[in-house]
Amino acid sequence: MTDIQTWVNASSFASAGIAIGFGAIGAAIGEGYAASQAAVAIGSRPEQSGDILKLMLVGQAVAESASIFALVVAMLLLFTPQSPHLINVSVCLAAGICMGFGAMGSGIGSGFPAAAACVGTARQPAAGGRLMTNMLVGSAVCQTPAIFSLVIAFILLFTDFSDRPLSPTWAAILGAGISTGLAAIGPGIGGGLVAKASCEGVARHPANAAPVTNLMLLGQAVTQTTAIYGLLISFILIFRVFPETETLSRPMALLASGICMGLGAFGPGVGEGFAGMAAVDWLSRNIRAAGELTRTMLVGQAVAESTGIYSLVIALIMIFVF
Amino acid sequence: MGELGKIHQILIHLGGYTATLNLETMIMTWIVLTCLIVFGFMTARKRALKPGPLQVVGELLVANLYTLTEDAMGKELARKYSPMISALFLFLLLSNWIGLIPVCEEPTKDLNTTLSMGTMVFVVSHYAGIRAKGLKAYLKGYFDPIFFMAPLNIIGELAKVVSISFRLFGNIMGGSIIVLVITHLCYSLILPPLLNAFFGLFAGTIQAFVFTMLSIVYISVMVN
Amino acid sequence: MAIEGADLVKAAAFLGAGIAMGLGAIGPGVGEGITASKACEAIGRNPAEAGLITRTMLVGQAVAESTGIYSLVIALLLMFVVV
Repeated sequence: MTDIQTWVNASSFASAGIAIGFGAIGAAIGEGYAASQAAVAIGSRPEQSGDILKLMLVGQAVAESASIFALVVAMLLLFTPQSPHLINVSVCLAAGICMGFGAMGSGIGSGFPAAAACVGTARQPAAGGRLMTNMLVGSAVCQTPAIFSLVIAFILLFTDFSDRPLSPTWAAILGAGISTGLAAIGPGIGGGLVAKASCEGVARHPANAAPVTNLMLLGQAVTQTTAIYGLLISFILIFRVFPETETLSRPMALLASGICMGLGAFGPGVGEGFAGMAAVDWLSRNIRAAGELTRTMLVGQAVAESTGIYSLVIALIMIFVF
Repeated sequence: MGELGKIHQILIHLGGYTATLNLETMIMTWIVLTCLIVFGFMTARKRALKPGPLQVVGELLVANLYTLTEDAMGKELARKYSPMISALFLFLLLSNWIGLIPVCEEPTKDLNTTLSMGTMVFVVSHYAGIRAKGLKAYLKGYFDPIFFMAPLNIIGELAKVVSISFRLFGNIMGGSIIVLVITHLCYSLILPPLLNAFFGLFAGTIQAFVFTMLSIVYISVMVN
Repeated sequence: MAIEGADLVKAAAFLGAGIAMGLGAIGPGVGEGITASKACEAIGRNPAEAGLITRTMLVGQAVAESTGIYSLVIALLLMFVVV
C-alpha cells in the first residue's frame, strides 16, 4: 500500500490537470466567438479594421483572465507542497474542480460582449469609445463568478484541515469545491448575455448609453445571485466543523448538498441572463418604457430564481438537519 | 504565503462574552472616514461664486451622484436618500482604492464591513417601505403574486443582503489574493502593478458603483 | 469502516435527493428566464399593455415551475420519508 504523501501528490497533479483542462474550455470558446464576430464586422466595413481589432483584443484579454485564474490554481497545485494528510487528497481535488468549472462560464460569458462590441463598431463607428467602456464594464462584472471560484480554491488550498476528523470532512471539502465550481457556470453565461445586449444597445443608440449601462449592471447583479448561493454553501461547508461519523450517509449528505447547489444554480443563471438580455435590448430601442421594463425584468428574474432557492433550501437542510 | 490567512484581532472579554475586533480593518475604516470628513469640511467651508479647485471637485461629485439617484428613484425620494447614497458610494470607492497604497489594506476585504453595509441598506429600504406604504400594505406585499410565495419572498429579501455583501467582498478579496499570489510566483516589475491597478482601481470602482446602484433599486422597489 | 445495508441505502438516498433537486432546477430556470425575456420584448414594443403582459408572464412561469416542484417533492420524500 503506497504511503499517504504519494496519494496526496497524485491527487494534486490530477487536480491541476482538471483545473486547467476545464478552465481552458470556456475562455477559448468565448474568445473564438469574439474573433468570429470581429471577422464578420471587418468584412462588412474594412476601413474600421483598426478599431475593430483593438476592441477584439481588449475583449479577449478580459475573457482570458478567467483561464489565467485557472492557470494560477494549477500552478499552485503543481508546485506548493501539501502536507501528508489523507484529507489533502480531497482538498486538491476540490480546488481543481472548483476553479476548473468556475472558469468555464465566465470565459464563455465574457466573449459575448466583445463580439457585440466589434459588430457594433462596424455599425456605428462614432460610438467606439463608449462601446469600449461598456464592453469593459460588462465583461469585468461577468468575471465575478470566476473570482468566487478563485476565492474558494485559495481558501481550500491554504487552510489547514489536518485537525478535523477525516470522515465527514472529506465530503464537506469536495462538496464545497463542487458547489462554487458548478454554480459559477450558469451566472457567468447569463451575465455575458446581458452584457452582449447592452453593447448592441449602445451601438444602436449611443445617446442612451447611461440608462442601458445601468440596467445592464442591475440585470447582471441579479443573475449572479445563484453563484452567490453556491459561494455561501461552500463557506458553510468549509468553515463548519463537523463531528466525526462512522456512517456513509452523513458524508453523502454533505456531498449531495454541494452537488445540489452547484447544479441548481445553472438554470436560473442562464434564464435570468436571457431575461436581462431582452430587457436591456428593448430598453435601447424604447427608452421611454424604462420603468416597465425594469420592473418586468426584476419580477421575471425573481420567479426564475425560485428553483435556485429550492436548491439552496435543500442544500441547507442536508447540511444542518442530517 | 503562510501569512495569507492571518488576521490580527483584538479580543475584549466582558462578562462571559468575547468581542472580537479586526485590527487592520478598523484602523483602515477610521482612516477612510477621516479622509472623507476632512475633504467634506474643506470643500464646504468657503463657498465662493468663483469656485476653487476643491469646490469644483465637490460640486462635480454632488451633482453627478444626485442626478444618478434622481434618475433611478424619482424626485421626492432622491431628495431624502441622495445624501446617504452619495456617502455610501464615496465610502466604498475610497475603501476599494485605498488598497493601492503599499501598507494599507482595503476595509472591504473583510466580510464584516460589507455585511454591515448590506444590512444598513436592508434596514433603510424596509423602513422606507413601511413608512411609505404603511405596515399592512408592506406585509401584504410579501404575499404577491400568489399566497404561498410568501416564504420564497422572505428568503429573497435575505438573499438580497447576502448577495450584495458577498459580491463586493468576493471581488475585492479575490483581487488582492490574485495580486499576492502572482507576485509570489513571478518576481517581475511589470505584471503585478498592472494587475493591482486593474483589480483595485477598475474592479473596485465598478463594484462600488454596482453596490450603490443596487441599493438605489432596492429602496425604490420597496417604496413603490 | 464497515458499511451496513441500511446506511448504504441512506447514503444513496441523500445523493439521489441532491442530484434530483440539482438537475431539476436547471429546466425551470432556463424556461422561466426565456419567458421573462420575451415578456420584456413585448413590453418594449408596447409599454401600454405592461399589466396584461406581466400577468400572462407570471401564469406561464407558474406552469413552467411544475417540474421544479416535482423535483422538490421527490427530494424531500427521499430525505425525510423513504429512509
